[in-house]
Amino acid sequence: MEEERREVCLNGEEEEVVIKDEDKVALQFMDSLHNYLSLSDSLSSTLRQGWLELASARYSMGTSRVNSSLLDLKFHSAATILKITENEDGTQPHFTLQKWVSSEHELESTKLEYKNEQPQDSNSIKSSENLMGLADNDEVQKERHKSLSVFGVLISPKLRATQLSFEKALETLIEIANLRSSLLHSFSQLNQEVEDTKE
Amino acid sequence: MYGFEAMTFNIHGGYLEAIVRGHRSGLLTTADYNNLCQCETLDDIKMHLSATEYGPYLQNEPSPLHTTTIVEKCTLKLVDDYKHMLCQATEPLSTFLEYITYGHMIDNVVLIVTGTLHERDVQELLEKCHPLGMFDSIATLAVAQNMRELYRLVLVDTPLAPYFSECITSEDLDDMNIEIMRNTLYKAYLEDFYRFCQKLGGATAEIMSDLLAFEADRRAVNITINSIGTELTRDDRRKLYSNFGLFYPYGHEELAVCEDIDQVRAVMEKYPPYQSIFAKLSYGESQMLDKAFYEEEVKRHCLAFEQQFHYAVFFAYMRLREQEIRNLMWISECVAQNQKSRVHDSVVFIF
Repeated sequence: MEEERREVCLNGEEEEVVIKDEDKVALQFMDSLHNYLSLSDSLSSTLRQGWLELASARYSMGTSRVNSSLLDLKFHSAATILKITENEDGTQPHFTLQKWVSSEHELESTKLEYKNEQPQDSNSIKSSENLMGLADNDEVQKERHKSLSVFGVLISPKLRATQLSFEKALETLIEIANLRSSLLHSFSQLNQEVEDTKE
Repeated sequence: MYGFEAMTFNIHGGYLEAIVRGHRSGLLTTADYNNLCQCETLDDIKMHLSATEYGPYLQNEPSPLHTTTIVEKCTLKLVDDYKHMLCQATEPLSTFLEYITYGHMIDNVVLIVTGTLHERDVQELLEKCHPLGMFDSIATLAVAQNMRELYRLVLVDTPLAPYFSECITSEDLDDMNIEIMRNTLYKAYLEDFYRFCQKLGGATAEIMSDLLAFEADRRAVNITINSIGTELTRDDRRKLYSNFGLFYPYGHEELAVCEDIDQVRAVMEKYPPYQSIFAKLSYGESQMLDKAFYEEEVKRHCLAFEQQFHYAVFFAYMRLREQEIRNLMWISECVAQNQKSRVHDSVVFIF
């Protein structure tokens, strides 16, 4: 790298710009990788918390009230939808989560779609949630209650906490998927830049 | 206050009281729980339990073990103890022992009905039912579409039939109706059990009144907390509270209008026996409330054994075993999930 820079200084400014673009892409790749690893840790701890809260809910409510045989097998519309879009050249898929979506709540799904296009940082996700909270809180709460009603209407707050934990884990998974997509795109760009430079 | 139970109780109840006191001495101690909490795997738990009364029930289970397997086998031990006592009992003890299982029967009925509503296979649901709550025609529950059919086709010949008078409607079964049915049945069962114990009189009536009143009060608090933020109206909530207990009637009026956990706390703190429960919790917290209630329940059930010649020891033993099984379930889950630091969040020591 050092030798390349010296050659650049002798040859002129144009090649210096190329090197800086490579650095920029490399830095972007490393940043994305760092965020990816942080989010993976965050996902692991969120899932651990969710599973323990589920065990705690089974402890409080009893195993006959919280078990897999109560899950609804009837045909019903999905509460959560994942949309995959691609960029112009089809090299970078983008994942968008639409939570608590049903046919009568398309307005909220549009807002949630906007929310998932925010910068892929957990802090910014939280701040966008705060901005959106007042608008969709009641409808989202109703959808959450409806989703948990398979276990009964009068359920423990621990089961509601479990739902929130797994919901957060799902959001983190989508962030990880988008970051991975960005990582792979940056990596392929970097490879391309390096090959171009060698030529 | 009491009659001459000491003169006549042992004629019919002496053998079984000795049996149940023997079972009580087999409950896990603090040392047992400390050993279990240090286990690294579920096989370690099985090894530690092999030295207890659960040993014969777990010894043939192959590895890898699951937490549900441990709970099922430990429950079988409870069921065997119960069946042995029931087949040896004469009236009125046999009726008293049967009353202890009606709560499980209600849970099983609701499980089958809810699972059928969700189009689950009946055999799968029957495997999840509590063995103490099984009855002959339970599988036929899957046929009913509304409560009237439920009663007419199946439950009219079961001990739960008298409890259906308050909740028979022709409305189709849905999640809300089923929840109201569950709690209405349980309310009727508790009140009936309470009246039965009062008729028995003596030490049984005295001690069982206290234990059942605590159960009624705890249910009232749980119904209140669990219904916050749901569609259940205040009137419907009020109808689900039992008509006895420390909170009846004025505490129920206050609980019916509570909208958050702090308001529930304010109501409970007016009653001295329950002040200690909320003293352990910080404001706005409800996560540890279940454990606080279980600790209070265990304390009261242990005290039941301090007196002789009454039937409450049988009720207390069954409840203490159920708490022990809950403890084992929690410890197993913490070990299986590699979260042993949280194991003391919910374990309630019995001795």
